[in-house]
Amino acid sequence: MSESLSIAALGKLVDCWIAEGRHVTGPRRINGRLLYARLDSAADLDLTEDERPRNSIKQVLFPRHEELYGYKLGHKRIELTESETPIAEQIVVAARPCDAALGPILDHVFNWDYKDTQYNRRRELTTIVTLACRHHDAHCFCTSVGSAPDDPRGSDVMLHAMDEGILEVCCLTEKGSRLFAGRCDNLPSPSSGRGAGGEGISGDIANQPVLPLTPAISHRENGTAPPRRFDLDKVQEFLAQGFEDSRWPDLARRCLGCGACAYTCPTCHCFDIVDEGAGKEGVRARNWDACQFVPFTLHASGHNPRSRQNQRQRQRIYHKFRIYPEKFGPLLCTGCGNCTRNCPVGLGVAPVLAEIARNTP
Amino acid sequence: MNEPQEFQPKIIAYVCNWCTYLGADLAGTNRLEYPANVRVIRLPCTGRIDFNLIVKAFEMGGDAVLVSGCHPGDCHYTAGNYHARRRWMLFRPLLEAFGIETERVHFTWISAAEGRKWQQVVAELTETTRKLGPYTGYREICEAKG
Amino acid sequence: MIATLRETCRQLLSDGKVDVVIGYGHDAAADGAEDAPVYPVFITKPEDAGRLVWNDRCHANLAVYLKHEEIRSLGRAAIIVKGCDQRSLVVLEKESQLDRSKIYVIGIACDGLDRPKCRTCDVHEPRGADVIIGHKAAGTGYPCAGGVPSANGTQGLPDTLPDDRYAELRAFLARPSAERLAYWRQELARCVKCYACRQVCPMCYCRRCIVDKNRPQIISTSATLKGNFAWHITRAFHLAGRCVGCEECSRACPMGIDLRLLNLSVAQAAEENFAFRAGDDPAAEPVIGSYAIQDKEDFIR
Repeated sequence: MSESLSIAALGKLVDCWIAEGRHVTGPRRINGRLLYARLDSAADLDLTEDERPRNSIKQVLFPRHEELYGYKLGHKRIELTESETPIAEQIVVAARPCDAALGPILDHVFNWDYKDTQYNRRRELTTIVTLACRHHDAHCFCTSVGSAPDDPRGSDVMLHAMDEGILEVCCLTEKGSRLFAGRCDNLPSPSSGRGAGGEGISGDIANQPVLPLTPAISHRENGTAPPRRFDLDKVQEFLAQGFEDSRWPDLARRCLGCGACAYTCPTCHCFDIVDEGAGKEGVRARNWDACQFVPFTLHASGHNPRSRQNQRQRQRIYHKFRIYPEKFGPLLCTGCGNCTRNCPVGLGVAPVLAEIARNTP
Repeated sequence: MNEPQEFQPKIIAYVCNWCTYLGADLAGTNRLEYPANVRVIRLPCTGRIDFNLIVKAFEMGGDAVLVSGCHPGDCHYTAGNYHARRRWMLFRPLLEAFGIETERVHFTWISAAEGRKWQQVVAELTETTRKLGPYTGYREICEAKG
Repeated sequence: MIATLRETCRQLLSDGKVDVVIGYGHDAAADGAEDAPVYPVFITKPEDAGRLVWNDRCHANLAVYLKHEEIRSLGRAAIIVKGCDQRSLVVLEKESQLDRSKIYVIGIACDGLDRPKCRTCDVHEPRGADVIIGHKAAGTGYPCAGGVPSANGTQGLPDTLPDDRYAELRAFLARPSAERLAYWRQELARCVKCYACRQVCPMCYCRRCIVDKNRPQIISTSATLKGNFAWHITRAFHLAGRCVGCEECSRACPMGIDLRLLNLSVAQAAEENFAFRAGDDPAAEPVIGSYAIQDKEDFIR
């Protein structure tokens, strides 16, 4: 279904959703910085198009701190209690396509050897409304990893900004249709029909069909898509045999070993399990973790197989561009550019891969 | 005994083993009464008191913190209390910057002979804190879910 | 000025005086493009000295790399520092983390990078450098190590006093404490514990940070308010008398949390109580770790 909505009407809709008790997340300007955050009202929503939020929407499906269960040590027994955190219905509004794509990508690893009930529950209860991009910045590289500014992967609804404050609404899944059904303005649809994705795609995660990676709309032609930053084929060629390449130390030398890239990345999903309590009572929780930290692979014996920063950087690239696709199919990267955008010293996936591709004949 | 509905502040007292702890002990042997609101935690020296202990006291539900040790010049380890004093001079402004109520953080020098001073300090502190009320500000922060 | 910088470094490398120059640069393919991204580079070959740049995007405090084994393994280093960064070298040396005689310090005269710290900068020309590029004798470097005074008689000090560096902090402290707490509650709610603030800081050189220790776990690693408060209080206090105000932590934070105010509050206390500013005087004793019999104790009963 493809209809139109004015930005003002979208705002009213957002306020409706919030009033109905749903958690709505969207781009919000905080201290001058655009970030995805919970919206208290539609007034918080910032639809600036020529900036990308510095974080990702991953928090909504995979929170940075999540209680798994509680424990209480009693007399000769241990009581376990269900995690108290209720998972409410969630809507993400004005996500970028490079964020929404995280759903179909991460579904694999969270349903692989173990069905992650918390992730799946959030996934079921979350509807993602994307805003296709008409701009890009120096760090965006979706087109270099087989994606596009209007990639429909993971979107339940895709909005296309037209001029004069009108948004075209393309519902791509049943979940999305339910959200917008009968709520759009009665404005005539624009004559140029936009057929991004298909209609009536089932919202059932397990059976979600693989959407084409090169959607119908070609922003490329009018120059709003980011240029190719590197040749992915050359990169894959290098990675197939370049694990011991002597260039890795130089490629990663300025890396500081923080987690800014991993934590703002839509697809990074490593976590650490911790028990937090005081004596007899506590909770077991999972927290985000990053392969760039020194203790990430530190063994109890004191040995660290990835003791050098270049080994940790190499691992990140391999995980995203070789290990994950070999195992599950998609790349573990959507080309959003947050890694470079947030890196204090300008590293991140694209600069490293561009350097590799440049030096691979 | 106090009426059940009166607010009973929890005072966490980090005291040094050689002076203040003995001073508190002296108050005990002299049968000087002081409020039971104080929870005494004994450490070898004020120099060992990590600033995180003060933060932890509030994290765990304390309403006020007392840090007490030997008078300058009398430290059992010679200079532990000098280092502690230096640390507190810089830590209090940090607490201020965070907006943590420094009216709830107290520092004293109480020697092993000053049982009466211990009694007075604890009694006054308890009343001051009772008037301030429970320290919900920091506790709310610590109990907020992620 | 850039030509002088590149030539100085080229010379240092080809003479074998240093094995690596730590500076700011473009990547190899940038080809001198004006708006190419600037980031830390490690030049080991004289012919690569052309990659070095100097412009208003040279933010990083390169002193952080002197503790990286990956850099130390390259050999004897020359490091390019702005006046603010040079302070880090003084603190590191005082704490026995670097041997000043083993590094070559290239000071770069800076006119400001449009960061809050630049408004009250008083070291446009770095002190204690082996050579300064820029200002004074325009286009050439000149030696200034070993206390050689500059034209106005005092090394590196400006002719006019800067604005009050703590004005912003004072305004903040004038707000009621409940408001201050609410401010940090709101700001630190965004912290994701990425530790960019820690990794970018030259003073955070502990091999095992306190937050990474779990026997016992003193500081919660969770990105909850409790864990975030605990972390930032700890880090700010561990920097007491050591933070030089390079403001890299604030710039590095992906969530835009303005951490400067926290570090400033302790720095102000150090200056007020002990007339001490980290990195100013190589001979001054660090404030934490030393004490004076006459230390003020009006807050102690």
